Amino acid sequence: MKDILVPVIDKVRDEGASYAEIRAQENQNTLVKVRDGLVEAATLASESGAGIRVLANGAWGFSTTASLGREDLERSARSALSMARAASRSIKEPIRLAEVEPVEDRAGVELRVNPADVDVSTKIETLLDIDKLCFAFDDRIKSVTVNYADLTTRQTLATTDGTFIEQEKVFVWNYCWLSGQSNGIMASARDEVGMHGYDLYDVESPEKISERVGRRVIQQLEGKTPKSGLFPAIMGTNIVGVFAHEALGHICEADLYLAGSALMGRLGEKIGSDEATIYDTVLIPEGFGTIKYDDEGVRGQRTTLIENGVLVGLMHNRETAAKMGAQPTGNARAQDFRVPPLIRMRNTCFEVGDHTFDELLEGIDFGYYLEAFRGGTANIDGTFTVGVQSAFQIVNGELGEPIRNLGISGNTLETLQHVEARGKDFELGPGRCGKGQMMFVSDGGPPLRVKRIMIGGG
Amino acid sequence: MDRLELCRMAVEAAIGMGSSEAEALILSNRTISSDIERGQITTCNDIADSGMAVRAILDGRIGFAYTNRLTADSAKEASKRAFKAARASPPDKQWRSLPESRSYPTVEGIFDDKIAQLTSDVAVDTSERMIEIAVGTDERVLPAFGGTEIVSQEMTCANSLGIEVEQSGTTFGCGLATVARSETEVSPMCGEFKASRVYDPQPEWVAEVAANLSVRAIKVGKPQSGKFPVLLDPFALQDILTYTLIESIKGDNVHRGKSALRGKVGQMVACEGVTIFDDGTLHGGLKSWSSDLEGAPKQRTPILADGVLEGFVYDNYWAKLEGKKSTGNAERGGGGLNLPAYGTTPSIQPSNIVLEPGTASEEELLRETGDGYYVRDVQGAHQSNPETGEFSVALAPAWRIENGEVTHAVKGTMIAGSVFDLMKNIAVIGKDARQVGTLVSPKVVVRELRVISE
Repeated sequence: MKDILVPVIDKVRDEGASYAEIRAQENQNTLVKVRDGLVEAATLASESGAGIRVLANGAWGFSTTASLGREDLERSARSALSMARAASRSIKEPIRLAEVEPVEDRAGVELRVNPADVDVSTKIETLLDIDKLCFAFDDRIKSVTVNYADLTTRQTLATTDGTFIEQEKVFVWNYCWLSGQSNGIMASARDEVGMHGYDLYDVESPEKISERVGRRVIQQLEGKTPKSGLFPAIMGTNIVGVFAHEALGHICEADLYLAGSALMGRLGEKIGSDEATIYDTVLIPEGFGTIKYDDEGVRGQRTTLIENGVLVGLMHNRETAAKMGAQPTGNARAQDFRVPPLIRMRNTCFEVGDHTFDELLEGIDFGYYLEAFRGGTANIDGTFTVGVQSAFQIVNGELGEPIRNLGISGNTLETLQHVEARGKDFELGPGRCGKGQMMFVSDGGPPLRVKRIMIGGG
Repeated sequence: MDRLELCRMAVEAAIGMGSSEAEALILSNRTISSDIERGQITTCNDIADSGMAVRAILDGRIGFAYTNRLTADSAKEASKRAFKAARASPPDKQWRSLPESRSYPTVEGIFDDKIAQLTSDVAVDTSERMIEIAVGTDERVLPAFGGTEIVSQEMTCANSLGIEVEQSGTTFGCGLATVARSETEVSPMCGEFKASRVYDPQPEWVAEVAANLSVRAIKVGKPQSGKFPVLLDPFALQDILTYTLIESIKGDNVHRGKSALRGKVGQMVACEGVTIFDDGTLHGGLKSWSSDLEGAPKQRTPILADGVLEGFVYDNYWAKLEGKKSTGNAERGGGGLNLPAYGTTPSIQPSNIVLEPGTASEEELLRETGDGYYVRDVQGAHQSNPETGEFSVALAPAWRIENGEVTHAVKGTMIAGSVFDLMKNIAVIGKDARQVGTLVSPKVVVRELRVISE
């Protein structure tokens, strides 16, 4: 591969590019979808291609090709160069890249069970199993959809800075969506798990998955609607994760920070309570967002974003790092060869504290325990919303009745000020992040008590 | 080898292996674009992506495969993998057959040779113009993100029941999201776009609207909680409807008991005067085509007529289960992993959902709202409950309306309710429709929605 890729980028450099990179991939994907006991379709896919990115006259050009033959790669590289030249026509502030040490490496994934070694019929049976167990959980469950995917990528990255990395990425993902009905009330719940290997189902057995998601549906069918307004709350680890990711993580991505996010210009300032420490890391091997090198060839570490309430760091690619005089943090990730890398999170977490769950409950006369989310989103101005699919009332310091259709919303920075206590039990949950491109990530932390949060819905 | 030849060959290969039915689809997409980031054009892209999808059916067992290499060998290989996947699957007892050959409508205004010929220079010029206008509007405005896209698409499909179809389409679009900052306020991201199937660039209009929205969004005042009339912009309406009402008109959700509209055909489910149809053949519609993505003809399907539920949208599979004909709503793509369109099996998606305009002018809409809110866009609609139609969304950006006049922007404010209550509460429908995503709609005044703020 090296003898094909390197001459292609060297050639565009000779033609005037200040930097060029090729990301060549060969991907094998298996997808299975089961609904209500029927296999909708099992998919066996194979694809290959390369994304070529060129920096010339201070602007980027990007081009793709499905063929990994030298001539097609050269044609695509020339196209990327002409795209960069077109973009550079009006450049006011030329793009520069932070210096990095060139890396030559071969990075595999330590697989306990390689999904490629598991027959597609076994994968289908596992999904049918989950489907059956979901229906068996309770007869109020009326429909079940289970999606499975394993995506295996063999990637070769070559840059004109001398980096040459062969890296394997393996993602095994299971998604479950249930609906139930009882006495005219309809409810639904979702569950998402993922790991870097087919041993996913050893950890997250079909029994465990079906019970967890089945319980969420029944809880909503039996739950009552929440009161609206400001209430104290305990965010469970799953909600803490989505808060770390959606509300805080995104505005700590340097591209969004620089685009005028609510944090812009506040590096070094105290923005949250002492209890708030948040980081994005690849140092958790089982984290669904863990990758050794990002798609610019930068080795990932742990990046602390907020330390005891002070904004101390951002997630960077080489471009934003150069602009802000920082180090690239290994957050440049691309969904596949069809798209250029963007600043994306990996495993984003709140730091643990030392309270037991009961201690967090103490002193809340009336509030909510928010256990699991349906979805979350945030705006650059620091407004976030999280749809909650599993929640309970807290009455006189004790967990009470289940609640359905609850949504929380608020200003991220105000909410961060209101974090008053941290639990000691850490949990990490896998998920997907959409920023134009889909990316596997994970997020989590300990349960947190917040003084008040806006509850809507119902 | 031309694309139709390649599709025929893949179908024949799958049949040759023993498939009872087979289908091959090729989708090709070329996008030339320029990206705006933080006030300047930073990138131009030339992205060409083509792929073939094969469905092989073996006595109700369905297998699927795709590849992005369009060669005879890859096509045969894809057929082989689809057949292998079918053999590994248990039969789907509900399977009837692939779509049969039917005639296609002529759809106007979806291909413009001029767009197909445009180069990156036009993408750069258009984006440059947006930046210039936005920055010139007000010094507090930052054109944060945006860009211009030149898109050419081709679709080819053949199946063993005689379908052979080829179609082409183009889209030219430019959009801009701006943020305005004052000493004390940051606006939410405020966006505008203009997309059309024929070449009709309007970068000046886009930039002006986006910039003015963000400037108006930093004049913030106190929101009020309670029940209020709400003027919904097509942006907000499309976001709310996509995750609620539109989910409940999909034939699969209806069949599976996941739709609150099941069993309600013929009943009043919205106010009188509310008429909605799904029109895949709309002249120049952003989602208009002759054929859907499994070769069924696109059509105009009534959903609501004067408040009465008329029907639902279907693809081939779910239509046949209900003894109906496909309404041409099979799409590909989506599915949560953002795979390329040729990477997924068909699923039911709306085409152009048209809410018929009323007669109210902009002034009349504001006057009718009286004391309430104008909501341009919402956040968090995808967290709605698609089965109950309940939503709870943050407003960004939105403004207070007092005495029929827009007074100030609000932050930290949500609206919540059920889409089915909302549909029964539409008081006034504006006269000027526009397309946002799948929805073609004017602004509407909802008589009463629950507004929650701190």
